[in-house]
Amino acid sequence: MTTTRLQAEDIKVFSDAAKSFFSQTTGHKATVRTAYMLDSFETVVWNDFQGRIELGGTFCGSVTFSAPRGLLTYVLLRMGESSYTDASYRDIVGEIANQMSGYARRHFGESMDISPPKVITQIEGVMPPLVDAVPFVIPMLWDRFEAHLVVRMGKRAMH
Amino acid sequence: MKTRTLMVVDDSMIFRNRIARLATDERLPGLTVVALAEDGLQAIERAKLYKPDFVTMDLTMPVMDGPACLEALRTVLPSSRVLVVSALSDRATALKAMTRGAHGFLLKPFSDTQLVESLQELMA
Repeated sequence: MTTTRLQAEDIKVFSDAAKSFFSQTTGHKATVRTAYMLDSFETVVWNDFQGRIELGGTFCGSVTFSAPRGLLTYVLLRMGESSYTDASYRDIVGEIANQMSGYARRHFGESMDISPPKVITQIEGVMPPLVDAVPFVIPMLWDRFEAHLVVRMGKRAMH
Repeated sequence: MKTRTLMVVDDSMIFRNRIARLATDERLPGLTVVALAEDGLQAIERAKLYKPDFVTMDLTMPVMDGPACLEALRTVLPSSRVLVVSALSDRATALKAMTRGAHGFLLKPFSDTQLVESLQELMA
């Protein structure tokens, strides 16, 4: 499949999505660090839980949010949740991926379809390659916790 | 005081619980949560059973998504008023939801106050 490469401003959209999520949900801003390209399609799992959104429509690829248990505990606490089970962590990590993707859709438009969130295991973390759509990582720091947003996205070329 | 009923439809357990919890806020007198559903199909089945006055509806869900569920709900329970609660924030999505029968739109993430105020507007 032929895709068109993402531009720097497209990457900024996802940085803004991460900032917006933490600011609105927790009242504390996240520090978003410089995004970098991944040089392989190997498993990109750094943290305890990973939620993934598959992209469709005129786009392809995925958006994966990866976070440690401690960060998710604080987010749940801020949302008034009192249950801290693995089911709660899996639920919220997927929901965060969903909300960040939803924010990005405001920029990319309604032709970007977003799947329901899916929690992935380490084996599922491998991302099949997309022509000309190198995955990039946006590291972020919230409180003392580090989390990552991994975006592997291409826009289908229109012929 | 007249009791009015609410069904919460969201594939996220955390959000179903949060909305159900906030629906008991004292600023929403008489509102009772009668059903929770995690996808559109379950929502239609429970709407037939519980006939809720109000519904909060996510859009991105497995099995049957929000837009399809809104269409079906309009046939099954035309009198119910629906608040869409979604992370999909573009204008076209909001407009599409409204034309399919939604009465309000609340963007995720939302604050407790924003949800309570949106439910107050829905109930007014």
